[in-house]
Amino acid sequence: MAMNREQTAGASIRISRLEKRFGNVSAVDGVDIDISAGEFLALLGPSGSGKTTILMSLAGFEFPTAGNIVIGSEDLTYVPANKRNLGMVFQNYTLFPHMSILDNVAFPLKMRGVAKPERYARAEEALATVRLAGYGERFSSQLSGGQQQRVALARAIVYRPRVLLMDEPLSALDKNLREDMQLEIKRLHAELGITVIFVTHDQSEALTMADRVAVLKDGRIQQIGPSRELYERPANLFTAGFIGEMNFIGVTVESVGEAIAVSLPSGEHWNVPSTSAVDPLQAGQKAVLAVRPERLQIGGEGAAFAFHVKLADIVYAGSALLLIGHLPDGTEIRARLPGASDLSTLTPGATAVFSVPKEAILLYAGGAK
Amino acid sequence: MKPSIDKGSLALGTYVYAVLAFIVIPLVIVIPMSFGQNDYLEFPPKGFTLRWYAEYFSSRQWWSATSLSVEVAFLTAICASVIGTAATYAMVRGRGRLATLFQILLIGPIIVPHIALAVGLYLFFQTIGLSGTVPGFVLAHTVLALPFVVFTTTAALGKVDASLEAAAMSCGASRFSAFRLVTLPLILPNVVSGALFAFIISFDEPVVSFFLSGVRYKTLPRRMFEDIEQNLTPIIPAIATLLIVLSIVVLLGAHLMRSRTKN
Repeated sequence: MAMNREQTAGASIRISRLEKRFGNVSAVDGVDIDISAGEFLALLGPSGSGKTTILMSLAGFEFPTAGNIVIGSEDLTYVPANKRNLGMVFQNYTLFPHMSILDNVAFPLKMRGVAKPERYARAEEALATVRLAGYGERFSSQLSGGQQQRVALARAIVYRPRVLLMDEPLSALDKNLREDMQLEIKRLHAELGITVIFVTHDQSEALTMADRVAVLKDGRIQQIGPSRELYERPANLFTAGFIGEMNFIGVTVESVGEAIAVSLPSGEHWNVPSTSAVDPLQAGQKAVLAVRPERLQIGGEGAAFAFHVKLADIVYAGSALLLIGHLPDGTEIRARLPGASDLSTLTPGATAVFSVPKEAILLYAGGAK
Repeated sequence: MKPSIDKGSLALGTYVYAVLAFIVIPLVIVIPMSFGQNDYLEFPPKGFTLRWYAEYFSSRQWWSATSLSVEVAFLTAICASVIGTAATYAMVRGRGRLATLFQILLIGPIIVPHIALAVGLYLFFQTIGLSGTVPGFVLAHTVLALPFVVFTTTAALGKVDASLEAAAMSCGASRFSAFRLVTLPLILPNVVSGALFAFIISFDEPVVSFFLSGVRYKTLPRRMFEDIEQNLTPIIPAIATLLIVLSIVVLLGAHLMRSRTKN
């Protein structure tokens, strides 16, 4: 395809010590990110975490208070948005309602002074890339939300930018369409070799789509890494709670040595491998033991990492069974078991024994929430 | 409950029709009077003649007043729509705290009595030599017409998603091109409708024109008042009828323009 041949690969991006203050409020507070050429990075965080401000600084719609942004080899920190040559897809499609779909897609080429015949040929090609060939004559009001977002995507890539910025592009779509579009965007990313920065507040979207995810809170990066690393070894309690489901159990550290001895609220004493400790721990200190609900197994009385939970609820959800119970100190424990598990002996109110494989245990300094 | 609703709607109906009647009655009186045969105003008119229309169309004095009014109204429409649209853009899109103050100042000419504005403009224009000139009329009428342009464009601009311009800029358009190629076409019907309002406001504005008109330069309303003082022939209702027709045509045009935005 002609598009691929001429496509320059993605550009690398270096964000250093980026800060953005609005009055006394720091929206972005000293963020450093190195993004390699062709990488797909997701900026993930709750609202107000600074993820959108970082994207807007990359796009040129916000100028940072301090720090700089280098794309490729150019410092673009204070370059206006229309001179950056980046592709951008917005949350709400932002197609120009008074132009045909073809004119929408051709718009960036028109701004770059490309002659009409070539402009339209390339716009047709971009529409074909997002599988909307033949839709050029229509207007945005005649397209579905998913189709409009594909057109927006075509418009963002038509001039072959080296970086594609996406600001929660799928949040306006319903669930099925969203999953289709996730795959579509991944496919385009692989096909074009373009660097993608993708802002989202949906953690599963970030984990599925991105090569690396940067988790943000209060304008700071909490953790940046590949999805698996983020999910399996969150760097702190915020990430542990923000990405996926997690049980947090307040424990007391009894001794620290080759193994770490902790006591659980349910009375058990565990000797946890020292590799489980994410933070350095000291004897006598309060700590939080974290374990994913799907890593809990039913039974295993007498195993090294077993504990007693008083069951409150058993929810059957087809493919999975959700068990909700409590520890004596009130801590809620959730366990997700395969739907076919035989739990005939368990009823709400009964005490169950759960066991945990040792590699699923994480320990953090600090008190339980 | 039902009878009381009927009473309420009956009262509302009566009220609405009374208001409409008060608006329509002057038109019903003026239009027939313009066809009266006697050379003084009377109602109901006697006979039927087109004499007064013929007199208006054949009089050089009336024509020069009309052409001055058309020229002033046309230029006012252009000035008011350009300035008004720019001001609206600043108020709707701008983040400044001055926006509210700006809005009050723009709407000011509606609240301030025209006579006060006229006296002020008269004294000011006398000193700087703009009194009785086309630029003087246009400036004064633009001030009066601005609020109407601001009203018609504010609603339209509020409905245009600001991120459309951001999208245009991310596509490489400068801020001005983004406005010209994306926002302006979307609000154009309302801008044109505002311009048409401005035209009508200028065209039949009597108070400010009364002060600013010189011996040579007289706008049509000014000329009409002069005629009312001196002669008061049915040429006045004849011109009034023509003005009514013009206003209806223009306002209908403005309405059609705005309803196009909705589709």
